[in-house]
Amino acid sequence: MSTTTDNDLLVRLLAPALNVQSVESALHMNELPAEPFSARRCRTLGQLSRIILQDAELRADAGTVALGYWLRRANIDRLTEAFRRRQEGEPDVVFVPAGRVFHVAPGNVDTMFVYSWALSYLCGNRNIVRLSGEQSQVLVRLLGLLSRQMQDDAELAEGNRFLTYEHNQSISAAFSRWATHRVLWGGDETVSLLRTLPLSPHASERAFGSKFSYSVISIRAYLEAGIDAASKLAAGFFNDVFWFDQMACSSPHLVMWVGSPEQMDTTLDRFHHALAKEIERRGYRGGSSNAIHRLNFVFDLACETDLTADLNQKEFLAVRLSDTAALRKEICGGGLFTHSRVDHLLDVAELGEERDQTITHFGFSRTELRELAQRAGARGLDRFVPIGEALSFEAIWDGYDLIGDFLRRVTVRVK
Amino acid sequence: MTGSPALDKLMASSPYSLPQREKRAVLTERTRELTRHHYERCDLYRNLLDRIFGGPKALQFDTLEDAPFFPVSLFKTRELRSVDPAAVVKTLTSSGTTGQAVSRIHLDAGTAQLQSRTLVKIMQHFLGVQRRPMVFLDHPGVIRDRRSSSARAAGILGMLPFGRQPFYALRDDMSLDVDGLLEYIRKVGEQSPIFFGFTYMVWQYFVEALEKLNLQLSLAGAILLHSGGWKKLEPLKVGQEEFRHRLIAVAGIESVINFYGMVEQVGSVYFENPLHFLHASIYSDIIVRDTNTLKPLPPGRQGLIQVISALPESYPGHSLLTEDIGMVEGSDNPAIGMHGQYFRILGRLAKADLRGCSDTFQKPLPMPS
Repeated sequence: MSTTTDNDLLVRLLAPALNVQSVESALHMNELPAEPFSARRCRTLGQLSRIILQDAELRADAGTVALGYWLRRANIDRLTEAFRRRQEGEPDVVFVPAGRVFHVAPGNVDTMFVYSWALSYLCGNRNIVRLSGEQSQVLVRLLGLLSRQMQDDAELAEGNRFLTYEHNQSISAAFSRWATHRVLWGGDETVSLLRTLPLSPHASERAFGSKFSYSVISIRAYLEAGIDAASKLAAGFFNDVFWFDQMACSSPHLVMWVGSPEQMDTTLDRFHHALAKEIERRGYRGGSSNAIHRLNFVFDLACETDLTADLNQKEFLAVRLSDTAALRKEICGGGLFTHSRVDHLLDVAELGEERDQTITHFGFSRTELRELAQRAGARGLDRFVPIGEALSFEAIWDGYDLIGDFLRRVTVRVK
Repeated sequence: MTGSPALDKLMASSPYSLPQREKRAVLTERTRELTRHHYERCDLYRNLLDRIFGGPKALQFDTLEDAPFFPVSLFKTRELRSVDPAAVVKTLTSSGTTGQAVSRIHLDAGTAQLQSRTLVKIMQHFLGVQRRPMVFLDHPGVIRDRRSSSARAAGILGMLPFGRQPFYALRDDMSLDVDGLLEYIRKVGEQSPIFFGFTYMVWQYFVEALEKLNLQLSLAGAILLHSGGWKKLEPLKVGQEEFRHRLIAVAGIESVINFYGMVEQVGSVYFENPLHFLHASIYSDIIVRDTNTLKPLPPGRQGLIQVISALPESYPGHSLLTEDIGMVEGSDNPAIGMHGQYFRILGRLAKADLRGCSDTFQKPLPMPS
């Protein structure tokens, strides 16, 4: 028998206030019933969007700006509209909130937790969001703004807890017992670790393991599109790679070129040149140890893999594989990507694995991509979006309908 | 004679005798030789040059800055060897915290001998030819229990031949054996000893221990050699200068010499010169590179340190990129009577902390107490 009670376990609350409190008091939230997509909750998220986009410090962080845009009223209205359609399509169903949601937010991808939380909040749930211990300046700022908004919004303050604690299974277990739905963002290790903690027999769970994402580009389309298009594409690729130091699950680590080998040199020269110019234009400067991190990865890889690499690139290091068969889907991050080539788009399906997530693409038709999705999707790929949209969060993530997860459907049928 | 005129010239000269330009010319020639030597003998090294440095053309370089290199961490993940396994007489391993991978450096008789010859020359320059009594600021168990900390043991074993009548000044519980030390000093009489220890241990178990005991020793004439980095002293806000001052105050040791070296390049160590900078001998040199672009930087600019050594023949460790940050402070300074360039270490590059959708909890941490 354990003598520890939830009263002895301490967590550090980050919002609505900054203090240390017991798990028990963190779990103490109002029990008022809420309605999915209530006008009030939509309004709250819209306000949060304005606060984020008006904040000078947060506006300097591209990832947070994207979040601010995603939360803006027009987008929330779109989600609400989709929910109304869902209601209309299922006249026998009353949608109610899943209830109490325990979110474990991903590590270094600062703002990702807000998407998960916002959808759940919108659906009318009470939420506990566990953040990782080391918060970046951006995250601290964001939580500060959220706390301030909570001061004027009792419903927001009373139904949501953003907190952190060092890895402690007893605390995670207490939150898991409380939850009616658990969302684990955080990669294979975290998922395996937390999945051992029992949920209520009535609760449900969604887990997001480690993912691998890549790009596919048609060589012919790329060369035909010309220099301006290459610059635009580089801007999109830049966002996909550098916003979260290439550590978001949807950031590409591999560029699979589709077409004949003769034009690869020209193509890669143009691609690297355009990316270097984009880096220059934005004055981007990565973390001080990113370069050595990339080098360590590439030199180790080059010991056994036939490749070429050019060390003279700034802020990124591109590796070119001589043979796609030598591809290892390992993640380095911090501006490292691998180029490889196949003859046909459908060859990409052969590489599909369960952990594959997003393919960002350029130069293919909808029909071609749908055919690839048909073949590769069964092996694991979830998402095909144009280059530049890798990090655009969507309510369908990793192939799952998050809004569906955050709601319960109560069937009401009359004769 | 080694079969290499460049190496012969270096081995025939005293460690700080060649002006920087002249030294660079000889060292560049030797580095070209070693690059070709390892290219021909180590498959993995050849792969690196072929795949990352453009193949055989990487063997032709006019300046040391253009010599191929690789990150020193590669010794942790790969077996890099340019001799037959049967020729290996000794495998050195780096310290590394528990659970971390360690570097493995394979020495044959020839390389081991080159290393000890240069080490002797550098030591003698600072300590004199006479072997003096030697006090280790550690406990004697450290060289018996090889598992505990191989770097500490290796440091002491490497130092043993340069002294005599070794004395270990710490007890097994790391407390300072003051009575034993005083007795030893009395016994060796006129000959003032050489003290050797790791920087943080010298601080914690000698300087602070004496201060706590309110004891002052007068070890004038003694020399303290220490190494191992300042990182553990950073939280205590102890810099090089305070370290020296407090040592004088508490032990009367005026000659304090720090040195910088690594298991991947034993022999070509960098000793602190009279200006308190680390000085490159003719057997080695450093290049400072931009942490981001890796372009070589001029003196006075800080960046990543690349170390070049003329010695490694049994493993391709003659040109390595470290994760240490430093800057060149000057060279060929007539005021100190030593040729060659000298530099300062400013710290170690913070580890890339690239956690993504993975590693929410990193690894299990102990419960907060």
